[in-house]
Amino acid sequence: MSGVLTRLYRGETTFNFVGRRWWGFGLSLFLIVVTMLSLFTRGLNLGIDFEGGVAWEVPATSITIEDVTAILEANRVDTADAKIQSLNGSDGSRIRVQVAEQTAEVKSAVQSALAEKAKVDVQDVSVSSVSSSWGRSITEKAVRALLIFFVLVSVFIAWRFEWKMALSAILAMVHDVLISVGVYSITGLAVTPATVIAFLTILGFSLYDTIVVFDKVHDNTARYAASRVSYADITNVSMNQVLMRSINTSLAAVLPVLSLLVLGSWVLGAVALEEFAIALLVGLLLGAYSSIFVATPLLAQFKTRESKYASLADEIHTGSEMARIAGSGKKTIQRVAATAQDSEREVVLASSALTHPPRPRKKRRR
Amino acid sequence: MVRRFVISLVGVVVIVFGLFAANLVAGNVPSLGLDLQGGASITLQPEGEYDAIALDVAINIIRSRVDSIGVAEPEIIRQGDTVVVNLPGVDDQQRALDIIGRQGQVLLRPVLQAGTLDTSATTTLPGQTTIPSDSTLPGAASGPGNARVRGAATTTLPPSSDASAPNIQVSDDPNDPSVNAVLTDGKGGAFLVGPAGADGLVFTNDATAEVSNGNWVVNVGLQDGPTGADLWNALTTKCFNRDAVCPTGQIAIVLDGKVISAPVVQEAIFSGGTVQISGDFTQAEARDLAKILEFGAVPVKFAVATVQTVSPTLGKDSLRAAIISGLVGVLLVVLFFFFYYRLLTIVILGGLTISFSLLWSVVAFLSKTNGLALTLSGVAGIIVSIGVTVDSYVVFFEKMKDELQSGKTLRGSAQRSFASAWRTILAADTVSFLGAITLWWLTVGSVRGFAFFLGLSTLCDVIVAYSFTRPSVLLLARTRLLNGRKVLGVRMSEGVAQ
Repeated sequence: MSGVLTRLYRGETTFNFVGRRWWGFGLSLFLIVVTMLSLFTRGLNLGIDFEGGVAWEVPATSITIEDVTAILEANRVDTADAKIQSLNGSDGSRIRVQVAEQTAEVKSAVQSALAEKAKVDVQDVSVSSVSSSWGRSITEKAVRALLIFFVLVSVFIAWRFEWKMALSAILAMVHDVLISVGVYSITGLAVTPATVIAFLTILGFSLYDTIVVFDKVHDNTARYAASRVSYADITNVSMNQVLMRSINTSLAAVLPVLSLLVLGSWVLGAVALEEFAIALLVGLLLGAYSSIFVATPLLAQFKTRESKYASLADEIHTGSEMARIAGSGKKTIQRVAATAQDSEREVVLASSALTHPPRPRKKRRR
Repeated sequence: MVRRFVISLVGVVVIVFGLFAANLVAGNVPSLGLDLQGGASITLQPEGEYDAIALDVAINIIRSRVDSIGVAEPEIIRQGDTVVVNLPGVDDQQRALDIIGRQGQVLLRPVLQAGTLDTSATTTLPGQTTIPSDSTLPGAASGPGNARVRGAATTTLPPSSDASAPNIQVSDDPNDPSVNAVLTDGKGGAFLVGPAGADGLVFTNDATAEVSNGNWVVNVGLQDGPTGADLWNALTTKCFNRDAVCPTGQIAIVLDGKVISAPVVQEAIFSGGTVQISGDFTQAEARDLAKILEFGAVPVKFAVATVQTVSPTLGKDSLRAAIISGLVGVLLVVLFFFFYYRLLTIVILGGLTISFSLLWSVVAFLSKTNGLALTLSGVAGIIVSIGVTVDSYVVFFEKMKDELQSGKTLRGSAQRSFASAWRTILAADTVSFLGAITLWWLTVGSVRGFAFFLGLSTLCDVIVAYSFTRPSVLLLARTRLLNGRKVLGVRMSEGVAQ
């Protein structure tokens, strides 16, 4: 087992990702179908910030925020995303309670309970509906901005790398966000503005991760340009080379999120962190998964049809064959260094000779 | 080379910690959002006639105004028939009122005398209705000729510019619509304007900027009836006729006491229902003017019903939990990397400290100047972004490992691997930054806040990678510190690979 770890550490593993691409595609398709089904049947549990709800305002005479929470719970109102605030102004202090929409009976029951507890007339406790604080215009603007962003990113990736990479990256990103939303739909977790922000974070992370992998593929494509190597082999080699990077980065990104979830939300009891952290956790894992099992295999799928690689389309080298290809792509410096090992000076010369062309002699000033 | 690295390293450390210290000394601390610290809550009661749709339009307009800097994450909700605006961290209730109340009041005032440095040039109007405007300023305000000029001047001001004639009573409150006032356009022009003939409500919410005959013009519709077109036409008739209340024929479009534009009226009666304002607008000026006319035309009048301070919904416990668990999380990351990259973790730790100080300084500074407020998700987002930022180091070190394993010297590997890692980092960060800019530019509310922090942490990443990580690793590779130790799985001897 340690052999695998060592090879993983050195980027010399020979996992055949592209050959097994249909596993990844299949799983992703399955998850997307489940997401779609759940979205259409169950929908999303949108919080008060999106849906609006009902608000009571009661003069804060003898009533405290704890009393209010108790009254809400006694009337079976979900207090998870209830907003209870105290207001202080020139006309005395009040307590404002906002929760998701309730039936008329609950509204009046809570109203009278609040009035009784605060020892004021029922008329002094106001009941009103509240709109969402996350207005429709925010969503519309965000969606429009995202579409423009997709176009810009595609243009950038197409310019920096190539358009097939742009397409794969965008597809993978959509895949990540869609399935993250699906998790929320299936589990029925409340979607808050923080969740939306978390989804956006995921989107950014997924894209970032994919681009790092594509950068490697891009490098290797140039490296193997002269030799007859199939695109599947190039992507396989690239992915094995960046595998350790992907694992490390994902771990580094997931550790703080796990800490927020387990320590912050469960141990220290900051419930508000939970929704945010779960969205991030799901999204980060998906992002790491999709850049290896969705984005890059998709790219291989697109590229294999190109005339340059078409003749080699079915050629996928595995195991030691793949290692040989990976080895052949590495710079020849290895041999140079090996023969010159006895002399420190020569090694330095050899390596520097390859990094820079000889510096032209300076013309002497007259 | 070495000298440049040392300068870069020392420079970035000094600058970043200097900023950090400067903010500490100035007492700038990051302010917290509504959920963590509470703020001011303002209840606006609509007056006169309105319906639900008009109320929604009004809420959007108020949101655009309050959200102008886009990072404060205010909360604007409709509660019953009132509009509740919650502003984070605004302890000073008067300031909150200023933000809500004063902003965006568009008045249309006849110009009695213009002392602009740029004289306004009138142009011809094609077909319908055209007002050529002052040549340089966008903005339009028009008031119907005021039939009731109550010259209730409060004070007599010495003329503050060449625009004001002596012995004319002017008010020192530029926002008082009922008396004469001397207003400037912020570009050296000054106007003596009469009482407002109308306000932005005569226009519909559909102002557009477009190109007509090769020039940028602004088109805006007029509301029907006595509160719209009638008011407007009364004003324009007076100005067109160079009536005593409008001797210059110009109407100043005034936003919050500042003249945005002062077009000359070209037509007595605007029968077509739309007004076109032309002039030497740049595209940006025309857009701004259109926006002002659109936002100025709030369809509902509001009175401030109550101003209250509001307590946080989550409280300090949540913040404490987020910070503690965040620190533990970052500690775990550092431990993991210490196990994996050993001595090179020093660089990661240093880089994280630099990033954190830089972020803290910017957040603290903007809290003070722009009312930025951190919500709980903002705090959590920063913690997560630090985890993600670590990727730059991973990309760099992994490339270095490859180089070392293929038998190169530490010094050579560090140099070459940074060059290649830098391209990767730049490509990936460009994409993130592109996203941040697009979202920041085009969205409102908390999405905008998110975009701000995404852009900020991406910039930090690029800065730290180039001016801290690069020199410190390259310098480390030159020292004897690593000699005889294992670096990235390869044992170092005197600067030679195994």
